[in-house]
Amino acid sequence: MSTTNPSSEAPLEGGRRRLSLRRRPDAGSPASAARARRRSKQRRRIANVAGLMAALVLTGVGYSALAPGASAADDPTGNPSSAVEAGREIYTRSCITCHGSNLQGVQDRGPSLIGVGEASVYFQVHTGRMPLVRQEAQAAERPTLFSDEEIDQLMAYVQENGGGPTLPSGDLRDGDLAEGGELFRLNCAQCHNFTGMGGALSSGKRAPTLLDANDMTLYTAMLSGPENMPVFGDNQLTPDEKRAIINYVQTIKTTADPGGAGIGRVGPVAEGLVIWVVGMGALLFGIFWMGTKA
Amino acid sequence: MATTTAAPGRPAPGRPTTKLGSAALEVDERLIVAGPVRRTLNKVFPDHWSFLLGEIALYSFVVLLLSGTYLTFFFDASMKEVTYGGDYAPLRGVEMSAAFESTLGLAFDVRGGLLIRQMHHWAALLFVASICVHLLRIFFTGAFRKPRETNWFIGVGLLVLALLEGFAGYTLPDDLLSGTGLRIFSAVFLSIPVIGTWIYFTIFGGDFPGELIIGRLYILHVLVIPAILLALIAVHLLILVKQKHTQFPGAGRTEHNVVGNRLFPTFAGKATALFFIVFGLCAGLGGLVQINPIWLFGPYNPAQVSSGSQPDWYIGFLDGSARLFPPWEIVMWGYHITPVFWATVAIPGLMFTALALYPVIERKLTGDTASHHLLQRPRDVPVRTSLGAMALSFYIVLWISGGNDVIADKFDISLNAMTWFGRIGMIVIPPIVYALTYRLCLGLERHDREVLEHGIETGVIRRLPSGEFIEVHQPLGPVDEHGHGQLAYGGASVPKKMNQVGGARRAVKGFFKPIEEPAAVQAEARRETRGLEAARESRELTGSGRPTEGGRPAEGGRPSEGGRPQQEPRD
Amino acid sequence: MTTTDHRPGSAGGTDEPGPLHGGPDDDYSPERLAAMDATELDRLGARYDGVEVLHVDPAPAPGSRLEKQASRQVTLWFFLAGVFALAFLVVYVGSGWFLPTWRWRIDGSLWSDLYTPLVGLTMGLSLISVGIGLVLFVKKLLPHETAVQDKHDGSHFDRVTTAATLNGALTNSGLTRRKAMTRTLGFMGAAFGAMLIAPLGGMLKNPNTGNPLGTTLWADGVRIVRDDGTPIRPGDQEPGSLATVFPAVPGGHFSADSPLMLIRLRPEQMAEVQPRAGQEDFGYGDYVAYSKICTHAGCPVSLYEQETSRILCPCHQSQFDVTQGAKPIFGPATRSLPQLPIAVDDEGYFVARGDFPEPIGPSFWNIGRVS
Repeated sequence: MSTTNPSSEAPLEGGRRRLSLRRRPDAGSPASAARARRRSKQRRRIANVAGLMAALVLTGVGYSALAPGASAADDPTGNPSSAVEAGREIYTRSCITCHGSNLQGVQDRGPSLIGVGEASVYFQVHTGRMPLVRQEAQAAERPTLFSDEEIDQLMAYVQENGGGPTLPSGDLRDGDLAEGGELFRLNCAQCHNFTGMGGALSSGKRAPTLLDANDMTLYTAMLSGPENMPVFGDNQLTPDEKRAIINYVQTIKTTADPGGAGIGRVGPVAEGLVIWVVGMGALLFGIFWMGTKA
Repeated sequence: MATTTAAPGRPAPGRPTTKLGSAALEVDERLIVAGPVRRTLNKVFPDHWSFLLGEIALYSFVVLLLSGTYLTFFFDASMKEVTYGGDYAPLRGVEMSAAFESTLGLAFDVRGGLLIRQMHHWAALLFVASICVHLLRIFFTGAFRKPRETNWFIGVGLLVLALLEGFAGYTLPDDLLSGTGLRIFSAVFLSIPVIGTWIYFTIFGGDFPGELIIGRLYILHVLVIPAILLALIAVHLLILVKQKHTQFPGAGRTEHNVVGNRLFPTFAGKATALFFIVFGLCAGLGGLVQINPIWLFGPYNPAQVSSGSQPDWYIGFLDGSARLFPPWEIVMWGYHITPVFWATVAIPGLMFTALALYPVIERKLTGDTASHHLLQRPRDVPVRTSLGAMALSFYIVLWISGGNDVIADKFDISLNAMTWFGRIGMIVIPPIVYALTYRLCLGLERHDREVLEHGIETGVIRRLPSGEFIEVHQPLGPVDEHGHGQLAYGGASVPKKMNQVGGARRAVKGFFKPIEEPAAVQAEARRETRGLEAARESRELTGSGRPTEGGRPAEGGRPSEGGRPQQEPRD
Repeated sequence: MTTTDHRPGSAGGTDEPGPLHGGPDDDYSPERLAAMDATELDRLGARYDGVEVLHVDPAPAPGSRLEKQASRQVTLWFFLAGVFALAFLVVYVGSGWFLPTWRWRIDGSLWSDLYTPLVGLTMGLSLISVGIGLVLFVKKLLPHETAVQDKHDGSHFDRVTTAATLNGALTNSGLTRRKAMTRTLGFMGAAFGAMLIAPLGGMLKNPNTGNPLGTTLWADGVRIVRDDGTPIRPGDQEPGSLATVFPAVPGGHFSADSPLMLIRLRPEQMAEVQPRAGQEDFGYGDYVAYSKICTHAGCPVSLYEQETSRILCPCHQSQFDVTQGAKPIFGPATRSLPQLPIAVDDEGYFVARGDFPEPIGPSFWNIGRVS
């Protein structure tokens, strides 16, 4: 499960509304600024940062005004501005080289972070993919460099200045297991394998194994579509469906194998290896022994 | 059988004196089987480990028949859509075919059903694997030569049928993995020029997947192909019995005899033991190592797929061939010949045709039309050995490429690089392997001749009066005035270590680590002052179950028992 | 009751027993055989079968240390086999009775996880123990003999006489002379054989009636829905997303031809889009829709890399570029993934504007002639 969760109902709802607000005007707007960014992590347009900010503030303010009970939970760090401020420091220290001073991204180094939201920040930083060590086919997964508190601050900073999808709250496994399985096989298994063991993609890229992923990582990955992974927005896979998928993935990977050793759960390749090395090997040894004299 | 076991001095000679004997007499008076049974029991089998490879295939087939019959009691080969409501929670409420549901039931609702299912699958993998190893033994020792071409053809037929049988069985559960494989097979049928679409529609009863294919594959899998397999195996064995075994050359072994053990009791005991071991291995694997966990794969759905979708190992080379073949589609007047056709019909067709016809080809090329019952050592036939190694390397490149995505993922190699490795490798590697194998064969042949001429290296260095250092060689037989051996190479393995000829103390016992003191063995060797004969006896009486001559099986290529060539040939 | 000595079934002739089947009973009278001991008889029979026992390493002497040790070992293995078989029975029968249940659940007990491994292990060990015991028995407690059996080549006598018999029958049948009959036999054989396999023709299906290979369930105005049947609005997907969608017709969800990838391109991709000639208007805004069925061997593609715009097939690694009309750029596939023309209907949901312009899935012989 997630370590800390700065956002609660309010930002989530705000985020979703913002998404639907933003989507229409996006269609067909120019995108020349981002064209050359090979490794862009930008998921959506930067059509109107100001409008976006306004929408953020408006929906946030509006929601908290309408739902006074949520205001306490709104803000677990106590002081949003100090969290944002701390986040800015971390950003300046670790991220600014590639993502620019205003989250706008740097040509050939890093994509714009405007609109990626805290979901993306959570995924990238929590799994240690960011900060990037070097430019390669795909960011490698590493132990995270930051404490949970620092990640929270960084998320607050990016969310404050860039906007985008926010972290979900509640039980992320609150979904139907079998439905999650069907959705997983339809949407995820083609890259991540039946059992989430991961798989190869073109030219050295790969879909990572889901074995180490926690619920929040899975959720934010679907929401933000990191690197080559397609985005699964909330209107494509509803939050309930995402939770069902997470429930399935996390259940499958912790269940025992009823039929003995799972041999990596990668299917016939491992089975072929076992029959040749263990099966044939043991039998060759056996007949060799039988053929010798006492 | 025991009809003539009367003790001397009884009033009616030849009449059985025991109850068992009377019963046997009763049987033989009706069936007259004593003669044939005695002939069978007296049949001599050569005692070499490699002759048991085919038996592994036979016994895994028996395991397949037994376990497969059990599975039919529970399996429902129907593609009728049902909604799962069984024990496995992650699929509850999912729509699936009755075939998939009943396979799940085998795993979760039948006591011990999962064990039998997994045993069946492991036995299938073992069946094909042992056929392949058996085939390699036959090939590399030249056992397919006249008069055994027929059995070679039957053997290749058995291999092809085993592949089809395995594929049909793999498809039956109608899970997502095998369904993907079936879909690829449908493309294979579809790719056949001119009649492809007709074959495709006929097999599936319409467009893929239809509702018939599982039922059709089922009857093929449980009746048609097993019946043919069984019949062919019977013919295979009958011919084998009729023609008698081949054997490796050695003292007393000629083209006109078989040296070994009689069927009863030695060979029968070992064969029965091997059956139990094969059965036990399949059971052990079936319980301990999970295979084809269809509940993780889910039911087949044409829109779903998983990364790392693979066939079982024996179809892997076809998958690899399909992966490697370049995107060359021949288009003539709107008619297409697709790369799938070349990769999965033409190439394997050529491979199996060449394999089947190899005895004929070799006969044509060598002009050797004589009958052969003595095997050849692979090194003595460098061209055949190199051709075999070349074909094998081609197969292995295809095979590896069949799993290249898993290899790319696990070893962090670029997938595209793996494809290119395979594309280039399937052309470049076989000739290299041919050349290397050829050199290797020649080198081994030369070394044999050298040992025959100069003797075994003893490791003893001696300084000649002239100051020159030489290593002392132990000749294997009488020498001429130059000290050169007079022995001709007889096609049998040449001893190359002193303890193989009884000239050194016996090897220390213990397989992985010595289980006796080397000093004690040395002391024992010193006590044995009666020469080689005594040393041999002491060896034969040891009971570690380990070959005492240099860690190799004592029979087979050894020129004679105890590995001493100076022993006079018999017969 | 008759006075004559005709026994039932006798048709005359002397009713004397013929020579006995098999062995040379004339040479070896029962008395002579009775005088021989078991080994001699065994060797005699073997010789009669062309087998010579050359050499026997005797079994260890009864009562010797070696014999005791060996028989202890063999006994131990057979005993172990029994123990393991018993353990199998205990686990197999006892689970759910005096042991925890064997029924496996995803949240089940350790015992149900171990059930199949345990029964497999005990059964396997039991069988293997029998095998090991037998091998040890044969190797250590039986005499090791070396026998030689003669191999017989074919006999000229047999060949000639058999051929004569066959030829005689052929000559007597007169088939060589009666040409008309021979030809009729050939005709009969061919027609008869054809008749026998003709019922298999019931399996034949014409792939060219109704153009099943060239059409799918997609048609003008068919709504595009998700697997749960919900329609899709252009705002539902994020840029850089892919959804597997189906035609909103009965059976559309399980049709093997119709799975569709609905892809919303990112702005960067939109700038690079080069649709195939004649298919420039097939997309809708930044949405494009391609068949999910690989044109190589029919696997569902859809390993979509949204940054490189590639779609990878997991079966044979064909790679398609979605910005270039899903053109194959690597691997064995030769044809682009067919693109479906899409639009938005009055209610704002995606619909197809027709079927695919070309057959989907793997190529076949006359693919260029159907559409």
